[in-house]
Amino acid sequence: MALIMVNNLVKDYKINVRRKGILGAVQGLLMPEYKIKRAVDNISFEIEKGDMVGFIGPNGAGKSTTIKMLSGILSPSSGAISVGALSPYKDRKKNASRIGAVFGQRTQLWWDLPAIDTFELLKYIYKIPEKRYKENMNTFNSMLGLNEFISQPVRQLSLGQRMRADIAASLIHDPEIVFFDEPTIGLDVVAKEKIREFIKCVNKEKNITMLFTTHDMLDIEKTCKRMIIIDMGVIIYDGTADHIKNQYGKNRTLVVEFNQLYRDIELPSGVQLADQQGNKKWLRFNKEEVQVSGLITELTSKYGIHDLTIKEPEIESIIREIYEGGINIGEEIPGDCKKVVSEQYSVPH
Amino acid sequence: MRKYLEIAKKSFQNNIVYRIDYFAGVINTLLMIFVNIAIWKAIYEEEEVLGGVQFKVVMTYIILGFLMQSIFMMEEYLIESKITSGLISSDLLKPLSFRLNIFSYNIGTLAFRIIMQLTPALIVSIVLFKLLPPFNLQSGILFCISAILGYLVLYSINFIVWLSSFWFYWTFSIITIKDAVISIMSGALFPLWFLPEWLHTFTKLTPFESIYFVPISIYLGLLPYDEIIFGIVKQVIWLALLMIAGHVVWKMATKKLVVQGG
Repeated sequence: MALIMVNNLVKDYKINVRRKGILGAVQGLLMPEYKIKRAVDNISFEIEKGDMVGFIGPNGAGKSTTIKMLSGILSPSSGAISVGALSPYKDRKKNASRIGAVFGQRTQLWWDLPAIDTFELLKYIYKIPEKRYKENMNTFNSMLGLNEFISQPVRQLSLGQRMRADIAASLIHDPEIVFFDEPTIGLDVVAKEKIREFIKCVNKEKNITMLFTTHDMLDIEKTCKRMIIIDMGVIIYDGTADHIKNQYGKNRTLVVEFNQLYRDIELPSGVQLADQQGNKKWLRFNKEEVQVSGLITELTSKYGIHDLTIKEPEIESIIREIYEGGINIGEEIPGDCKKVVSEQYSVPH
Repeated sequence: MRKYLEIAKKSFQNNIVYRIDYFAGVINTLLMIFVNIAIWKAIYEEEEVLGGVQFKVVMTYIILGFLMQSIFMMEEYLIESKITSGLISSDLLKPLSFRLNIFSYNIGTLAFRIIMQLTPALIVSIVLFKLLPPFNLQSGILFCISAILGYLVLYSINFIVWLSSFWFYWTFSIITIKDAVISIMSGALFPLWFLPEWLHTFTKLTPFESIYFVPISIYLGLLPYDEIIFGIVKQVIWLALLMIAGHVVWKMATKKLVVQGG
């Protein structure tokens, strides 16, 4: 049995519709009007123990709502969730002792107290044996360098330090499952890389199941094998990150810097001139239709060339195209990929 | 239970962080006592007795009322801020009872106020304002029991009011109304026997007089023994009812929860 099982999960929010202007505001005060917004629309998936899964999707896609339902904070409107054979909402406290979570935009650390105080408190909250607690603290100290700042009040920490402390805090009780909700948000490149390394390492060593939501595709590419793309409350892709890259990343761009300015150049069929600037030209082609080596030979035999580079599309641009509807993922990729526009309807109050 | 004790300890520690706030709290209490004594002096003018009560008894009532208020003060917007900031999710992600968590936090603050704020204010009150000792040993002990019950009644009322932020998100008005009602009906600002007869009778039907009026009356030895027992039993009954109500409202609130942002 999979560790996490989600079946036909639905979450509706009742939102207050605000009207424009002062008159509208008064009207809204006296006669509030509500609308049901479906944040998560009938999604199903399974996650095995030790898996590392990336959840991506544009803002408001329903990622965080799903994670909150998995962690027992929100109750589902309908559908079933089982996390290690428990219902996270009904058995919140039991479930909570086995999970950890990092919300990148907030901190669970006591704001005015030194970070170490929160760790000490967590030791009691999760009833961590003293020996285990010390071992874990030592590991996190050496990997995340907590010692540098652990006795400073949390409000004085930099974002990177705070995030390191928050991540350690989410793992201190050896959870079976950890949810990371945008763990690298706002961090610089080096700090991001460190955190990814740490997360990957912990996943491997302790076989912790991890769920990630992020907007940084590099996070996913570097850490997760599997990725679930959600848009408008529906899963539109569930598979490996490589697969999506192979399937949609067939385009290559050859950047050629010529010795001199050529007004017009002759291009073999299947190659398009994407852009040009001075002596530089960007040539786009499909790697399955055009052979790179052939193209380069042809160009060098006809023109004087100074420099050449080949660019692969980044996963980020592929995802962007998916979000924008440029790639219709539903037809080509197997799995539960039907795209359903979320229903919105008014209910009388 | 250990974990809740640790939460209370951290909350105690958290209170020490702001030194200026701490000193301001002590000064504020003393200032309030001083101002109110001046007001009551003016009311009594040169009379020794008003409404059958001696001036020094009323004085002790007022001082005791403010001292109790200073330690019964709670963080009114704790739950609201947890909801608006979304930090409530961190609480719910812990293997903790949310209600006990909030309660432990408040107990930590209460302990801080008793040890750090009440002590200096009490000494000043005895020396400077001539606070009378309890009527006798028995009323002293019963006062302590009744004051603890009073705190719990106030906490239970507050908890329900705080929970309303699950529905309203912005509870300033509700809390202001609650504070106004409590300060008049609980006898926090003045002895309830100064209220019009009908209003005084009405307060007896509410949980509010359990908070300050009952314990202070016991302290002053104004109640015969059987009325003391009756008052304490009433406190216990109100506490039980309010705890049940709090439980029901909390159950409703969890269904209502929408975590803000992110």
